[in-house]
Amino acid sequence: MTDSTELDPVIHAQARLRVVSALSVLREDDRVTFPRLQESLRMTAGNLSVHLRKLEDAGYVEVTKTHQGRTPATFVRLTRRGRLAFEQYQDALRALLNPSSRLEEMP
Amino acid sequence: MEPNDDDEPLGNPADSLALIARERANLVRDIVPDPRWMYWPWGIAWLFGFGLLFLRFGPGGRVFVDLPAWLPLTLLSLSFMAAGAVTGAVGARSALQTRGPSSRQGLMYGLTWGISFFGMSLLFAQFGDAMPDDKLSLLWAGGLVALAGALHMAGAAIWNDRPLFVLGAWTSVTNVAGIVAGPGWHSLIVAIAGGGGMLLFGLLGWLRRR
Repeated sequence: MTDSTELDPVIHAQARLRVVSALSVLREDDRVTFPRLQESLRMTAGNLSVHLRKLEDAGYVEVTKTHQGRTPATFVRLTRRGRLAFEQYQDALRALLNPSSRLEEMP
Repeated sequence: MEPNDDDEPLGNPADSLALIARERANLVRDIVPDPRWMYWPWGIAWLFGFGLLFLRFGPGGRVFVDLPAWLPLTLLSLSFMAAGAVTGAVGARSALQTRGPSSRQGLMYGLTWGISFFGMSLLFAQFGDAMPDDKLSLLWAGGLVALAGALHMAGAAIWNDRPLFVLGAWTSVTNVAGIVAGPGWHSLIVAIAGGGGMLLFGLLGWLRRR
């Protein structure tokens, strides 16, 4: 890809794009448990943690540690900023696929 | 850190868009209950329960299968409870994977079914001796089906879900048609049109998300 300068580097990495894509299914303020997300993405816990930390540093996801009864539980949600970045990333991909329609593509 | 394979971007935008669609579908499949598990237990319970009711209390007092008079309503209640337990467990399992407004909505909706069915059943149970068996069956069946139709329509309003509204409206219309047709006919109409409607609804919902 020659035009990658305009694609968000944080979610340009395949693994982080997968994480953000999955999280984009959740409605605003909904969170998913870490194990559910991990299983759904078929990643190792360590690998997912690394990518979540990078996304957290960019302000794209929020990771909450809490307790369900006595067992610790970790929940993940996409922030408003993360959702915006994801939507812009998708728009950029579509524009790359179909450059002529770039101007009309106002969602 | 050493870059690894999945730190690499995909080469082509079409592949990236396909990846996005795939991961979205995966998580939906994992956190939204399978429509088959949510609707087929009810469809089967209605076919079975109302079917028995029809066989024992047919139109015009006809008895197609001579079961003890108390048996059809008892089995109908038990099959409703079984269906409620299955959908409650499946729904709760999904709700536990997430936290936030959506899972709270789901919990409140599930409790609404349980609480309102309990209240209505308790009311109807007071009339056991007050009317003939065929009228009593119509009261139970018509009341519970009306409630189910109303709750489906309310669910549709909560989630802005058109197909669910169609299911609720269809259930309500078949219930009214059955009530007008009278005892016996009501059971047959609700078993086939109502129960069949839920089986079909579960199937269509499953096909849509595959």
